[in-house]
Amino acid sequence: MNRFELSAEPLDTGKLKNGLRHARAGGFASFEGWVRNHNEGRDVGRLEYEAFAAVAEKEGTRIVTEAIERFGVTAAHCVHRVGDLRIGDLAVWVGVSAEHRGEAFVACRYIIDQIKARVPIWKKEHYSDGVTGWVNCERVSGPEPPQPALPATTDGLYVRQIALKEVGENGQRLLSEARVLVVGAGGLGSPALMYLAAAGVGHIGICEGDTLEASNLHRQVLYRRSQVGQSKAHIAAQQLRELNPDTEITVIDVSLDADNAESLFNQHDLVLDCSDNLKLKFLLNAAALRTSTPVVFASVYQYEGQLHVFDPRTGAPCLRCVWPREPNVAPTCNEAGVLGPVPGVFGSLQAMEALKQLLSLPGRLSGELLMLDLLSFRSTKISASRLADCEICSRTPDQIELPRPGEFEIALDMDLAEVDPGLRNDYVVIDIREQDEVSARPLTTLPHRHIAMSTFSLDAPPIEPDQPYLLCCASGTRSRSLAIELRQRGFAHVYSQTGGVDHLDHGHSRGGD
Amino acid sequence: MTQVNVQYYAIFREQAGASDESVETGATTAGELYAELCDRHNFSLPAAALRAVVNEEFADWDTPISDGDRVVFIPPVAGG
Repeated sequence: MNRFELSAEPLDTGKLKNGLRHARAGGFASFEGWVRNHNEGRDVGRLEYEAFAAVAEKEGTRIVTEAIERFGVTAAHCVHRVGDLRIGDLAVWVGVSAEHRGEAFVACRYIIDQIKARVPIWKKEHYSDGVTGWVNCERVSGPEPPQPALPATTDGLYVRQIALKEVGENGQRLLSEARVLVVGAGGLGSPALMYLAAAGVGHIGICEGDTLEASNLHRQVLYRRSQVGQSKAHIAAQQLRELNPDTEITVIDVSLDADNAESLFNQHDLVLDCSDNLKLKFLLNAAALRTSTPVVFASVYQYEGQLHVFDPRTGAPCLRCVWPREPNVAPTCNEAGVLGPVPGVFGSLQAMEALKQLLSLPGRLSGELLMLDLLSFRSTKISASRLADCEICSRTPDQIELPRPGEFEIALDMDLAEVDPGLRNDYVVIDIREQDEVSARPLTTLPHRHIAMSTFSLDAPPIEPDQPYLLCCASGTRSRSLAIELRQRGFAHVYSQTGGVDHLDHGHSRGGD
Repeated sequence: MTQVNVQYYAIFREQAGASDESVETGATTAGELYAELCDRHNFSLPAAALRAVVNEEFADWDTPISDGDRVVFIPPVAGG
C-alpha cells in the first residue's frame, strides 16, 4: 500500500481505518473532505477531479512520510478521489494512528494542509446554471482561514538600521550605491560578506581563488559540509544571493595579484582584506595607494587579532609605516591554529568598520592598530605615525609599483607527488616544524631529516649547495619563507612542499603505490 | 634599574608563557629591553620582524624607557 493513493473508485473508510490499526497505537484521527453544494456563492451540482498522477503520487507520498517522521506517529495514509463526484461524496481521506491523540491530530492536519498546497490535483466544478470552471484543489475542504499577510515589498528590510539617526534613509541609499571588494572568503570573509550583504550594500566583489576544505568549516561559517571541494568564491556568491537578492555579486575566483589588483581596486569604493597572507596584505597596501582606495585590514592568530584601517585619502600611516620591514614570516591559521569565533569577531569588526566608512559614522579607525585578545578581553589601540621615509607611501601613486614575486620565489613551490617517481629520491626532505608539532603529527611515510625552523641557522645552513632539498612545514608557509631565505644565500635547489606535511604524507603514499 | 610593564601578544604570549609581566630591567631603550627578554624567554623572532610599542605608540628601538612605561612587542600576524 502506498501512503498516498489516487482512487477512481469510492473509498471504503472502514477498510482504510483498519489498515492503520496497530497494537502500539492508542488513538486514531481522520479527516474527510466532502463535495459540497456551493462554492463562492454559486450552486455546485457535481465535481470532476483530475490529477497529474505521477507527480501527485510522488509528492503525496512524500507528505505523508514527512508527517510520520516529523510527528512520530505509528502510521498514516491518504487517499484522494479522481473522476466524477456528486454532492456529499467523499473526495479525500486522511487517517493517522498514533500512541497518543495529540500527534495524531497534528499529523492529520499537517497532511491535509500540505496535500492541498503541494499536490497537483484540480477540480472542475459544474454549477447548477450549466457553467463549469476549474478550481485548484485548495478549495476541497472549504475556504482557507485568513493567512497573515506576507510583506509584499521589501520596505521593512532595513528598518532597524534606518532607525538609527546616523543612518536614516540617506545612509541606506549610500549603502545601496556602495561597491565593496572582499579579498579572501575564509574565516574573516564569511561574517564580513554576510553582514555587508545583509546591510544592503549594493555591490560586493568576492575575490578568492581557493576551494573549500573540510578544515575550513570550523571557522568559515558561510559554507556547508556538502560543499567541500567547490570554489569558495562561487558558493559564497550563491549564499549571499540567497541572503540578499538585491545585492549584486561579482565572483573573482582567482587570487588577487599585481596584474589584476589595480583594476579590481578601481572598480570598488572600499576593500576588505580578509586574506591570510602577508605578501598579499602588502600588495593590497600598494594598490590602495595607487588607486586612493581605503582598505580595512584584519589578521588573527589563535585567540587574538589585529585590525587596521588604511585610508590613503586621509594621509594616515600605511601598512608599511606600521611594518617598515616587510616581515617574512607570520604564522597562518593552518600552522598556529585558531578558534572559529576569533576570525568571526574580527570579520564582524571589519564589516562594522566598512559600514562606518561608507556611512561616515564617527569613531572610524584611522592609522591606529586595534589589538584584541579574546581570551582575556585585553585590548590596545596603538597609534601609528606616518614614516617620512616610508618605502611605499612617501612616493606618489604612479611611482608605487605593485609587488611581484621576486626571482627567488619563482618555481619555489613543489608537490613531491607530482615529481617523476624515478626522481623523487634525489630530494632530501627536511621537516622544519617545531618538535611539539612533529610529536603531534609525525611524518611517517617517507625518509626525511628534522631541523626545526627555530634552530635552523641561516648564517651556516646545515645543507649542501648542490643538493636538491624539499622543505616541509604544516601548511607550506614557513617552508616557503625559509626556502626564499636559503635561495637568497645561494642554495638554488631548495623547494617548499605545497600544502605542508598533510599533503606530503598523503600525496606521497598515494603516488608511491 | 627601571620597572616597566610588558604585554605579550601572539607568539610572544606563547613563548613567555604569560600575557604580561612586570620587569625590572637595566635596559634603557626598547631595543635593549627586547634583547634582555629574548635571553630570558628564548624569543624566536628577530627584532627586525616586529614592532615595539611604548605607551600605546609605535616606537623605534632606540626609544628610551622609563619607570612605569607600558611596553608591548607586536609580531605581525596573518591568519584569516
